[in-house]
Amino acid sequence: MPRLDSPAALETLQRRLIAARAFWPVRLILSSGTCGQASGSLAVLAALRQRLDRPDLRDSVHVRVTGCQGFCEQEPLLILDPQDVIYCRVKPQDIEEIVSQTLLEGRIVERLLYVDPVSGARVRREADIPFFAKQDRALISKNRWVDPCNVGDYIAAGGYSALAAVLSWFAPQRVIEEIKASGLRGRGGGGYPTGRKWEQCRNAPGEHRYLICNADEGDPGAYMDRGLLEGDPHLILEGMLIGAYAVGSEQGFVYVRNEYPLAVQNVRVAIEQAREMGLLGHNILGAGFNFDVKVARGGGAFVCGESTALMASLEGKVGEPRAKDVHTVERGYLDQPSLLNNVETWANVPDIIRRGPAWFAARGTETSKGSKIFALTGHVKHTGLVEVRMGTTLREIIFDIGGGPRNGKSIKAVQTGGPSGGCLPVSLFDLPVDFEALADAGSMMGSGGMVVMDESVCMVDFAKYFLSFLQDESCGKCVPCRVGIGRMREILEDFCEGRGTMAQFAVLEELAWTVQNTSLCALGKTAPNPVLSTLRYFRDEYLAHVEERHCPAGACKALIRYEIDDALCGRCGECVAVCPHGAIREDEGYVIDNAACQKCGICEDTCAPEAIRRIRGLVHA
Amino acid sequence: MPKWVSMIVDGATVRTPSGTSVLEAALEAGICIPNLCHMPGVHALGACRVCLVEVVAVAGSGPPRLTASCTLEAHEGLMVTAHSPVVVRARQNIVELLLAEAPNSRAIQDLAARVGVRVVRYPMRNKNCVLCGRCVRVCDEVWQSKSLGFVGRGHDRHVALPFNTRPSSCKRCHTCIDVCPMTVTPCPGPQKAPGICGLCESQRSMAQNTPDTCVWCELGRGFQCARWQMRGLKTGIR
Amino acid sequence: MDLSELDGIVQGRGSDPFDIMEVLQDIQAAYHYLPEEALCRVSETMGVPLIEVFRLANFYKAFSLKPRGRHLITVCMGTACHVRNSPRFLDEVRRRLRVEPGGTTQDGEFTLETVNCLGACALAPVVIMDGKYYEHMTPAKLGSLLGAVRAQEGRHLVHA
Repeated sequence: MPRLDSPAALETLQRRLIAARAFWPVRLILSSGTCGQASGSLAVLAALRQRLDRPDLRDSVHVRVTGCQGFCEQEPLLILDPQDVIYCRVKPQDIEEIVSQTLLEGRIVERLLYVDPVSGARVRREADIPFFAKQDRALISKNRWVDPCNVGDYIAAGGYSALAAVLSWFAPQRVIEEIKASGLRGRGGGGYPTGRKWEQCRNAPGEHRYLICNADEGDPGAYMDRGLLEGDPHLILEGMLIGAYAVGSEQGFVYVRNEYPLAVQNVRVAIEQAREMGLLGHNILGAGFNFDVKVARGGGAFVCGESTALMASLEGKVGEPRAKDVHTVERGYLDQPSLLNNVETWANVPDIIRRGPAWFAARGTETSKGSKIFALTGHVKHTGLVEVRMGTTLREIIFDIGGGPRNGKSIKAVQTGGPSGGCLPVSLFDLPVDFEALADAGSMMGSGGMVVMDESVCMVDFAKYFLSFLQDESCGKCVPCRVGIGRMREILEDFCEGRGTMAQFAVLEELAWTVQNTSLCALGKTAPNPVLSTLRYFRDEYLAHVEERHCPAGACKALIRYEIDDALCGRCGECVAVCPHGAIREDEGYVIDNAACQKCGICEDTCAPEAIRRIRGLVHA
Repeated sequence: MPKWVSMIVDGATVRTPSGTSVLEAALEAGICIPNLCHMPGVHALGACRVCLVEVVAVAGSGPPRLTASCTLEAHEGLMVTAHSPVVVRARQNIVELLLAEAPNSRAIQDLAARVGVRVVRYPMRNKNCVLCGRCVRVCDEVWQSKSLGFVGRGHDRHVALPFNTRPSSCKRCHTCIDVCPMTVTPCPGPQKAPGICGLCESQRSMAQNTPDTCVWCELGRGFQCARWQMRGLKTGIR
Repeated sequence: MDLSELDGIVQGRGSDPFDIMEVLQDIQAAYHYLPEEALCRVSETMGVPLIEVFRLANFYKAFSLKPRGRHLITVCMGTACHVRNSPRFLDEVRRRLRVEPGGTTQDGEFTLETVNCLGACALAPVVIMDGKYYEHMTPAKLGSLLGAVRAQEGRHLVHA
């Protein structure tokens, strides 16, 4: 790739790349992000390359390996363009058929098409699949057009033209005005107005200004940022370049969590490519603007997603937050003004410049503009990355896009915002995804994690899970978080193990208030949210655990026991064979010995006639 | 000449050089704000949350919020209260948590008496360290020896030497032991159920009558309140 | 203890505050844990107080101060995996192998780790065994997973 010394040079290159791509009559697009690879996409790729390595196919078929397309349940995906066919759950052994039938003869391989769970019909086109059709895929659809390790793809798709426009015609203050006008708010969970943050950084006194991309994405169940960073790293770099120009920064960092090796790799490759082309470094595009980016790989600590902890980590220290009486835009990394934004926030910037803030602000609600990517997971049919306009209802996301419940059980709740967020019951599913609407209901938008729960999930246990998570991840510095969260967890443990008392509710609520109001950082301050929201909407489950020693969802081990229904039992003896604890014996049928039973559930999973079920345990008060 | 700023603490106007923490300025002025992890001469940690104050909302800056006064820098026009019902409630809850961690420590019992904790609602543990960080900071910042530190995360956090071995940088000055609030005269322990000592009731009532004024109470000496530490530094009396 | 690789890792680094983290990550990758000797050397060479190096090693989960077992099992405990019953699977592993998360079995065969979300939630519950992803894991599948690993080992021994 040539070194670009002016915006005109970029334009010329773009035209050349587009022209070259016109010569590829057939394009195969294989999604191969982390979950694609976990589902075997690399083997599919190998089979594909081998099959296409023939004189008649080699030069006329182009294979593009992309990042995550979002339809994670159906990975690996293979899209054929211009045939406009999308094949799901492709295996290496399917390649022969795909090439010989679809590619060479134009015939569809029916069995590889997506099946609509309601109608049973097979769907050929991506645009006709409800999962895709009902989204507003402004960001995530970009992954379709780029191989993350090929900067040419990015430029051919219009990449870096926003940067070129900014460097050619925009004064830094104007860039800030555009971002402000768009109404973009932070996508990491805080929802702080991005334009205002940029302005504060620009105006803060200090010799050096630093830019940080927060790719620590620690919320369990959230992987939107991974999808963007792995799939389209140049998009984030371009956003950062525009931001750096706007606030006057020459050095940026991408802080990626340790658990995302592919994202780290792809960003490093992208940075190298950008440097080679003069898009990072000195005198970018000949505009006298300098900016460079380094990748910092996290060490495995959720708390490093908090801005002051992240900056401490960048400084080579442990990730302990500090009080935010003075914000990081004024005093952050190395005590200098620092602009920290989430991956998705940066990703939104180039389009706001290219298409104008009015385009962005036209989508969404009064106070929450644009689109947001959610990681829809849990007990829903179509888990994956879903991008919708702000204002879309939870019901539309979970049922229309997500396809509704997974195992025939009814959906009970949805959790948004990760460990800082809350659980909302089905009765509130008509709420729109909007910063204020979700916060008022006791949850929050968060970074985008959206976990769907059916009736098999115990809400008390679920709240306890988040407290355990935060206990492990707390830095441990301040008393309310280190000690208070632990004491809350103790109470929930009492509830789940049949030792709870009514008096503990008041203590739990007092603790929640204390931890919320006195913790040093946001991790502690938001830690009680899962407990508070489940107490608010699922108090009946808590009361059942305490007053009746009963777990309505049948999940808390201490409150259930396993029983074999003799009427349904087929006497096959499988359960005896699979039980690792020798807890099932033959005695005029099969009987479970409750003393030996460890409630692992293997027998329940194995029993074909479903004769084994969980019933109320015998817990002595 | 340092630049002086004027702020209001519990209704009293306090003038202090710019850059001083609200806690130190208040203590200098004789206002009592209970504290534990604070130590004059080293940087403020903000870890114990005992010195909380409520920053009274100034127009446009959002609802009142609680924050540690040791890490809050005094600035012109700041208005805080250290003894509103909200702050007192928060402080009592924090100290109650500490008391359940270390009921056999005189420092924590005295602190609990000072802030008015009357009941402990948690099962008792018996820790001998409350992670106030005085030892760590004195070694790191005063002696520049950097021989011990906070190791581990969350409930595993503890003070340790590297690889649990005394490093060569340690000069055996024993200041870490000297500044530890837990090594003050041991308390006979909880005399009243559940968990409250109660032997220093008289000191408690003396302090409770004038919650926002420092009366050089023995309770403060018990947990080495920063004002006592500052006095010790000035007069050499411990 | 062969520390020859160590000098290569540390050389030329130290100008950026974050370098110490990168050095530790490289040491972890090279030796599969952070040997005490290595950390002492790093402290001397890079001029970072030993207590600081020790703090970093203990704070971040990516680092292990004890040697790891021959096989690494990582069980994801993220929210999506949790609602699909990963705790049940973890309990089975703990019981069957008699090891706690973060620990290694007595015979040095398995190290068990938990992680809070790998970002492969469609495959929940997810388990990684020696770098390979296993999807929809249940306690019932544990036996065959362990069997496969041991059979693999057995095969290697035969050829050795």
